[in-house]
Amino acid sequence: MKRVLVVFVALLMLSSAAFADDAAAGAKSLSVHTFTFKYKDADKAAAMIKSLLSAEGSMSIQPSTNALVVTDRADNLKTITKALTEFDVAPQAFRLTVRLVGASRVEGTAPKVADELRDLAPKLAMLRFNALEALGSADVAGREGDPGIVTLPTGYRADFKFGEYDPASDSLKVSDFHLSKLQNDQLTSLLKTTLNLRIGQTYIVGATKAPQSQRALMIVLVARK
Amino acid sequence: MISCQTFRANLQPGTREPELLEHLRKCDACLEYAVSTDPDNFFRAIGGEELVPPGGIDAFTSDVMAQVRVRQAEGSVAHRFLITPRRLATAAALILTVGVSALIYDSGRKAVVAPPVAHRPAQLATKPIVETYQSPNATIVEVPDSNVVMIFDDTLPADL
Repeated sequence: MKRVLVVFVALLMLSSAAFADDAAAGAKSLSVHTFTFKYKDADKAAAMIKSLLSAEGSMSIQPSTNALVVTDRADNLKTITKALTEFDVAPQAFRLTVRLVGASRVEGTAPKVADELRDLAPKLAMLRFNALEALGSADVAGREGDPGIVTLPTGYRADFKFGEYDPASDSLKVSDFHLSKLQNDQLTSLLKTTLNLRIGQTYIVGATKAPQSQRALMIVLVARK
Repeated sequence: MISCQTFRANLQPGTREPELLEHLRKCDACLEYAVSTDPDNFFRAIGGEELVPPGGIDAFTSDVMAQVRVRQAEGSVAHRFLITPRRLATAAALILTVGVSALIYDSGRKAVVAPPVAHRPAQLATKPIVETYQSPNATIVEVPDSNVVMIFDDTLPADL
């Protein structure tokens, strides 16, 4: 009886060690996978999965075929494959809300802030702008790569392009945002910039000549899916 | 009824005198005195006899001893089935081996299903709000944790 018990225990220990070794070996072996992209650029995909690669992982871009060759542990490749599948999708639709606000620094008692600007007042107060004036707002819908135009009754006009959506930062690029103003039947260019807007968050981009300027133009932007 | 003085003068251990017993039943003070002399006087006062078990004292004693032997036999039988220290040690070793083996196997299997990368918290990458701006001489200030950016550009018109 005692011998049978000893043999049984020994067999049990050997089999468990063997199973553990198999599992560890499966997790550590490296695999190679080539991803070819239909909608997105391979170099952008490479930048996106950089943080997902393990210490043993590596990748190389093939520009001629717009492909990415990834070498990594088999289990990690599953995560990378999932991320790249979600990344290489047809251009997505977005909606951009643009509001223009004139902000001033007023001595003494500041005029009452309009209800539509109440959400901005605390943030602009940090910059010592206490008088706010709504200069118009508009919503523009479009897909990645589409152009967008905002024309406001106050004479302001914004031309831009819906850039690419970046899942890693959950942000939309608003490329070549060109703000101009119609003055004396002539369109005057004010500024041109490219912005990254995280989806669903409100951004305020203020523009003025100098930090001590008493007036600034605030461009308030929200990108939504 | 005899007087208390007569009762106490004639009281002897194991007495069965009717006059003494009658006085004992009726006089509490003498009952206390008699019990302090011989406790059995109390039972004799209420008419009690010497208690003898049915079948006699010898039969009673042999019955008791028989029960004692039965109990001892039961105890020895139960003792045979008690877990010996050696058996306890063997069982503990077996449980420990199976447990450790299962733990090693399970940890190996978890490595396959849930790699360290998969456990990384989903942290969003951070990008600058203003990626490019037309004028290289402009000063761009991003107010931390507020999504507010100020562009200070000397080339901008005064009446924005």
